[in-house]
Amino acid sequence: MNKWLVLFRKEWLEMVRNYKVIWLPLVFVVFGLLQPITLYYLPDILKNAGNMPEGTVIKIATPSSGEVLCETLSQFNQMGILVIVLAFMGIVAAERRSGMMKMILVKPVTYTSYILSKWVSALLLTFVSLSLGMLAAWYYTILLIGSFPFVDLAQGTGIYFIWISFLLTFTLFLSSRLKSSGLIAALALLLGIVLSLVTPLLEKWMKWSPAQLTGAASSLLTEGAAQGNVLLPLTITILLTALFLYLAVREP
Amino acid sequence: MGFSSINWALVAPLIGIELILMIIAVVDLSKTTTQTNGPKWMWVLISLFFSIIGPILYFTIGRKHT
Repeated sequence: MNKWLVLFRKEWLEMVRNYKVIWLPLVFVVFGLLQPITLYYLPDILKNAGNMPEGTVIKIATPSSGEVLCETLSQFNQMGILVIVLAFMGIVAAERRSGMMKMILVKPVTYTSYILSKWVSALLLTFVSLSLGMLAAWYYTILLIGSFPFVDLAQGTGIYFIWISFLLTFTLFLSSRLKSSGLIAALALLLGIVLSLVTPLLEKWMKWSPAQLTGAASSLLTEGAAQGNVLLPLTITILLTALFLYLAVREP
Repeated sequence: MGFSSINWALVAPLIGIELILMIIAVVDLSKTTTQTNGPKWMWVLISLFFSIIGPILYFTIGRKHT
């Protein structure tokens, strides 16, 4: 445990040194703030966009607070995943390439605790970033549009975090096996995109799909209750996350 | 909507964060002694002119991890 803490601290130091600790949360906060502001100013933006004939009347109903937060979540689902995968694609692969990994593993630490320290620190930073982003969106939504219960926000973000941590664990697994950072990012993004695309199309056969969690989180935010069966995708996702983590800690 | 009718109190945090990201990227570029992927001046320009996306790209793919 003590050795693990040393590795964990080394991971954090690394993330401070390459500024990940600063820019990852900031990026999520920016996307969180951007969504309520754009939706609030949308009529003005359209009016100023030009190319409208004289006298055009645009009427857009102001979205509800839940809808704005749901939009924020879907924004995180695109830009957020991209940023997280890019940030953590080299988490193991880069250290193997630079020879850092060999230097660490000659010391009396196991490969498992080495990978686990990386997994926990990446997960923690992702959780903090996602929460800060959603809190920023929540704050601006309350200011601009209307109140929204914090419990629903926390539940929606929590369910969504499970889906993100699944993709993060998959990225870590790929990073522990492959050499090329580009290939790792491409494969991880491919899994995220394919699951997100195929799940709504083949609703019937994809009830177990981890991507169902994004739908559940969205309906939690817009309607206050998750639609459909959440327990099945939740269990499957957690099992798959555990599987990929197990595969990642096995020495190649 | 004129220049003055924008609620600057709302937009200020956004601009602030953009500036912070930009400044960190440029300061890191000026300090770092290791090579970057691609010429340094290119990353300076990208970080300065593409708000948010530019610094992110630099941190993720521009920086060589050592």
